[in-house]
Amino acid sequence: MNKGLTAVPCALLLCLFLGLALPAQAEVKGKLVIYTSMKESLIGKLRDAFAKKYPGVVVDPYSAGAGKIMAKIAAERESGGSVADLLWTSEIPDFYQLKDQGFLEKYVSPEAASIVSPVKDPDGYFTPARLGTLGLAYNTKLVKDPPKTWQDLFDPRFKNAFGIANPALSGTAFVSVSLLVNTFGWDYFVHLKANGAKMGQGSGQVVDDTASGDLKACIGVDYITSEKMGKGATLGLFFPQEMLVIPSPVAIIKGTKNLEAAKLFVDFLLSREGQTLIASSGTLPIRTDVELPAGSGLVPPKEAVERAMQLDYQKTIVEKEATIAKFTEIMRGK
Amino acid sequence: MSFLPDMRKWGAAEIVLALSILILVVVVAVPVALIFITAFFVDGAFNLADVTAILTQRDTYEALKNSIIIAFGVTVISTIIGVFFAWLVSRTDLPFKGTMKVLFLLPFMLPSFIGALAWKMLLSPRSGYINKMLMGLFDLQDPVFDIYGYWGIILVESMYLFPFVFIQVCGALERMDPTLEESARIAGAGLTTITRKITIPLIMPSILAGALLIALYSLAHFGVPAILGTEAGIYNIPTKIYEKIHQSAGSFKAIRAGTVLASLLVVSAAIILYVQSLVLKSGRFQIIAGKSVRPVALKLRGFKIPLLIFSAVYLLVTVILPTVTIFLVGSLKTYGLSLDWANMTLENYEYILFTWRLTRDAIFNSVYLALSAAFVTMLAGVMISYVIVKMKPRGKWLLEFLGVLPFSLPGTVIALGVILTWSGRFGVNLYNTAWIIFVAYIARYMAFSLKSNSAALEQVHDSLVEASRACGATQWQAMRHVVIPLARPGMVAAFFLIFLPALRELTTSVLLYGPTTRTIGVAIYTLNEDGETVYAAALASIALVIIVLGQIGIKKLTQARAEGV
Repeated sequence: MNKGLTAVPCALLLCLFLGLALPAQAEVKGKLVIYTSMKESLIGKLRDAFAKKYPGVVVDPYSAGAGKIMAKIAAERESGGSVADLLWTSEIPDFYQLKDQGFLEKYVSPEAASIVSPVKDPDGYFTPARLGTLGLAYNTKLVKDPPKTWQDLFDPRFKNAFGIANPALSGTAFVSVSLLVNTFGWDYFVHLKANGAKMGQGSGQVVDDTASGDLKACIGVDYITSEKMGKGATLGLFFPQEMLVIPSPVAIIKGTKNLEAAKLFVDFLLSREGQTLIASSGTLPIRTDVELPAGSGLVPPKEAVERAMQLDYQKTIVEKEATIAKFTEIMRGK
Repeated sequence: MSFLPDMRKWGAAEIVLALSILILVVVVAVPVALIFITAFFVDGAFNLADVTAILTQRDTYEALKNSIIIAFGVTVISTIIGVFFAWLVSRTDLPFKGTMKVLFLLPFMLPSFIGALAWKMLLSPRSGYINKMLMGLFDLQDPVFDIYGYWGIILVESMYLFPFVFIQVCGALERMDPTLEESARIAGAGLTTITRKITIPLIMPSILAGALLIALYSLAHFGVPAILGTEAGIYNIPTKIYEKIHQSAGSFKAIRAGTVLASLLVVSAAIILYVQSLVLKSGRFQIIAGKSVRPVALKLRGFKIPLLIFSAVYLLVTVILPTVTIFLVGSLKTYGLSLDWANMTLENYEYILFTWRLTRDAIFNSVYLALSAAFVTMLAGVMISYVIVKMKPRGKWLLEFLGVLPFSLPGTVIALGVILTWSGRFGVNLYNTAWIIFVAYIARYMAFSLKSNSAALEQVHDSLVEASRACGATQWQAMRHVVIPLARPGMVAAFFLIFLPALRELTTSVLLYGPTTRTIGVAIYTLNEDGETVYAAALASIALVIIVLGQIGIKKLTQARAEGV
């Protein structure tokens, strides 16, 4: 037993250790990683336009539900770092929490002056970059008489056929539930459940299930619904008087290696150009000086903010777990 | 190896042995030990109160209950299906027996979570294509089937798991000495008596071995319950662990709760394996004898054609129908449109193959991870098998034990173990990188590699090496020109035994993926969860194409080898 036998293990050792030693991905200069809950249909357009404007900066967006993104950020922080340079989701409480933990970089964009939003951070650690509106999405083949008010969903014609996304997975769903509870009380969901309402999974899945006819209606995010409508899905979207208006803040992560590039992206996002792209994707811009695409059915930003249901976002941070638990309990009927 | 000072005392044999143990300890033992330590120790002190607290929570014991209900149902149903079809193709005069036997292995190629996705599209209450068709045909108000629930999960899993029993039982029936049945017949026993007293007892060990394999697999299976169960509020242990970890922002508390659940899985798996070893010990008949007589094939007579049609329909419904559904839905412009030519497009395929970063990453990651994990695990397997089989050192049982341990460990448990081991605790942080999945795959598939390589090496007789040494070959030359060429079939087999399952893996990677490190399985699952149903289907179609190409590749390779020898 001499030299010969050691060759195999040596090669192996080399394989293993070379493998382990290589970094996951070399950091390219001028690269921006954005963790976002915006779907590809929205963030993709913005990335391409930004790339055209600033060819030196490579934008790398990763979309997932807000819950999963926060899980990843928590795991990354535990191991002492962050992969992301920017965070853009719809879960406002997360931003307050991250701000308090000193995880965000302060930045007030010159564009920030011209935005309207029910929520603003006076300290400038995050800036709303889009007004997500959620309405009642319904399948036009199955629903001839669209729901007009939130209470219409107690009607037998929506028996066992109305869905809400899982607030533990989706940020918009969580804020929507909080807004509805704040406006109508928990009774609202008890009534919904009595009519067989269902809890789905992601905010996109309930819309897809409505398009397929598995559900007749759901709480649908504006641009997700209109994207599917654009592809021919038989969907309609109606906004009741009391509106779900959820600003989606963008924030720069403290310690980013590309602070200048990150600032450029925030400016671009808030600029008229960026907001026009956002509007063209079927979601509400945060500026009033951007024209809404014809036939989009969107409520203009100013009116939407006036009709918006109100919420003390700071308070929801503490109540988040309890809210999700109570909602799940009601919807699963346990 | 000059950097080792006491090279003389430490011969190559010791180094190889030490290295083998080191690899298995680092890759297998530490992660498993950490799971139990994390579950049962808090701040260094043994803490049972916390464990009890977690176990008495309603969702915990419900998850355990669901895991058991599903595993039990799947085991019973797939065993019945497997035994029946095995009997049909090996002991009757069913036409096209040989072809049918190969065809019954097809369900193996369809990953069960893709099957679940297809069945969701076919049988979800209001939108499932079959339900819609039936409701239209008979003018019904309510859907006929509801795939979301225990029955849906159990039936879909059974459809794709029964080959485990089928293969085992086919083998036993073919190896069985037909003279045993002949003598019973001569002694005047009828067919029922022969079946009851001779055939069934003889194949029982094989049936049970297959059944327990299915129980083990189903108990810890993520994909099907995740797609068909969570919507109805049915969680089993793997889906509960996934939910806990993903919804609590990855906090340590959630990981800890996960480890307690994982310990439950390990204990259940250990019980199953123990039962299996008892069964195999008690039921060892000498059933293989000289094949002098071929068993008499039972004449099906009038049932011949109906049973052939039944088998064909079964395969059509469980394999072809879901596959076609996946391809068609993958071509739809958006989910919910009817399956008309006007609504079809190839853009989805183009988009996920060439444009979309997420899906391109996923395909690349899966292929790359499967190739590299298969390669490294194969090499490590050769070395460790060599130690076990040829060097026979003292304490080789430890190597054997550590090597096959992951085989009994559910993928979820391995995932948690590598999270605990490789997220910075020992100075190496792989969390959120592809490497953590790579390490998990090595642990998960090491048993396959050891089994296949040991079997091959055992056939290489020591005298061959001795002969070459006597002729003046060095140890290395003997290894390169004698041992490795002879062991190569085992190495190739090990490579593919790892490559193909790793390519479609979901249960482990779903707990380990980061934003850039989705695997194909994870991408299909998350796309479905996010309501990108058509893209999920399109990606699943591409996965199926890759799997089929891989299978054909293996066949070509092994055939070429057989002809070459």
